[in-house]
Amino acid sequence: MQAAAKSYARHPSVHPLDLEVRCGETVALPGPNGAGKSTAIGMMLGLVLPDTGRVRVAGHTPRAAVAGGRIAAMLQDSGMMPGVRVAELVRFGERLYPNPLPCAEALEVAGLTSERSRRVDKLSGGQSQRLRFALAVVANPEILILDEPTRAMDVRGRAEFWETMRAFAAKSRTLLFASHYLDEVDNNAERVVLLASGRVIADDTPARIRTQTGVSVVQVFLTGSTDWIGRFDGVSDVQVRGDRVRIKTTAPDALVAAVVGGLQDWHGINVSPPSLDESFLALTGSAATVSAATAHSAAENTGTHTTISSRDDHLFSSS
Amino acid sequence: MTTYFLRLEIVRMLRDPKYLALAVGAPIGFYLLFATLFGTLFGGGHTAPGQLPGTVEIMVEIMVAMAAYGAIWAVISTTGPRIAEERQIGWLEQVRAMPLSAASALGSKVVASVATALPAVILVCVTAAVVKGVQLSMGQWVALVVAIWLGSIPFAALGIALGFAVGADFAYPLSYGLNMAMSALGGLWVPPSVLPAATMLNVAYWLPTYHLAKLGWAIAAGELPDVASVLNLLGWTAGLAVLVLIAYLRPARRMGARAATGPATDPGLATDPSLAPDPSAAGTDRLAT
Repeated sequence: MQAAAKSYARHPSVHPLDLEVRCGETVALPGPNGAGKSTAIGMMLGLVLPDTGRVRVAGHTPRAAVAGGRIAAMLQDSGMMPGVRVAELVRFGERLYPNPLPCAEALEVAGLTSERSRRVDKLSGGQSQRLRFALAVVANPEILILDEPTRAMDVRGRAEFWETMRAFAAKSRTLLFASHYLDEVDNNAERVVLLASGRVIADDTPARIRTQTGVSVVQVFLTGSTDWIGRFDGVSDVQVRGDRVRIKTTAPDALVAAVVGGLQDWHGINVSPPSLDESFLALTGSAATVSAATAHSAAENTGTHTTISSRDDHLFSSS
Repeated sequence: MTTYFLRLEIVRMLRDPKYLALAVGAPIGFYLLFATLFGTLFGGGHTAPGQLPGTVEIMVEIMVAMAAYGAIWAVISTTGPRIAEERQIGWLEQVRAMPLSAASALGSKVVASVATALPAVILVCVTAAVVKGVQLSMGQWVALVVAIWLGSIPFAALGIALGFAVGADFAYPLSYGLNMAMSALGGLWVPPSVLPAATMLNVAYWLPTYHLAKLGWAIAAGELPDVASVLNLLGWTAGLAVLVLIAYLRPARRMGARAATGPATDPGLATDPSLAPDPSAAGTDRLAT
């Protein structure tokens, strides 16, 4: 395996985590704030030392992989050296790595060629993100890590960014990104590793994750009463807007049969898997319930009342 | 690559208008002002260069004081406020994600910072020689410039300690205030002969500002520098280096977690397994990342 990131780490915010990324994969790490994404990324770069377990990046320790330019990252909150020009900083990156992309090419890839002589502290939010990107790609890495890469970009900037990214990653590079934008995850990732409370709660393709919850969405234009739908078997949620009804159900076939066979006028019926947002909410929601239950049973096992409450606080705060 | 990084550090310092104004322009301007002013007061009204022995002494004394002041402010202002800013905006975090060790990043900054002290020292001396007719032997000029330049190292240590100890908002005013206070009490603004004797003995004698200038005064007077001055500067360097180490170790650990995380528990402790006995408690900070 050329590019395997593997971690079995026991960490306050990341529970023993077993993750293997294969060469050439594009993996998304979505998840709510505090899911442990940044910690997981920090461990892959050697910025955070795991308490237990080990991390190997392309067969090396994370720091050795960083030094060799095998892995490079665009971090969420990293700042850029104030007072220097864009090209000067990227050229510094070119000199830093053993097998770099030429500075001009890195600027080109990041779409910063026309900003090359601007001062880094005078860039807009989106341009700063592009500079972070340029400073990562100049390493010419096998593995590229992006932590919230399109934050501070507008819709068009995001679309352009992902276009460049797809072209860059196409050259058998491994891409791992954290993102809040689930359309980005859906459109760009081959694999989604959903973290919540420092645990992997789903690891699959975006399409399969959408069907994994077992919930489908039925949409139909329906005239007349919709009260009966909420009481129908398997229905968990009904939204009515005018004559448009949107139903979440675990038994879509029975519901469709009931609508079609009923006496009310209907048209435009449509059954689809839930959106990625809804799947994630469902998956992370159940994960929160599980850790709350674990916390509770852990608390019950510890005896005295004072211990219970302090235990409880800790476990809840990490969930 | 470290030389390129060093070059970047120097380039960005030289581009900073605040540096040019306060660490190069100000010492030259103040030299001209004070040399003219004190020359008139103590030189019996004669400001023409070299006319009275007393005038020449004052011209040299103020030249050394202003060269020292410029060097001191150059190194403090290019370390303290900059390190505080870089910590805040996350540049040091970015450095950690690249194959550049924190030690060589910091080392480059110190070298760059001390390098920026040189223009002030040289230009003040040139102004004194050209405008006020100060004359020293070639050996004295070289020894003077080198002594004041290298003597600014303890102030780099002070700046670094400040940069790690306080936040970006506070670092600049604190640096400037400390610099002004130490310069005034150390006899850089007023010739030491004018300071009240008690102040000189009690305060100035311990300050590195005074001893840096005293080194220069001895060289300009053709004497051997006082061992006490050299020891004082070395002592300050060592003491401040210890402070730097203490201040640096704290945020160095914290770099793994972000500065924006909550203050409930020290995230620096959380990265060190031996210091985090209860992982679930320490986890609260990390979750914000």
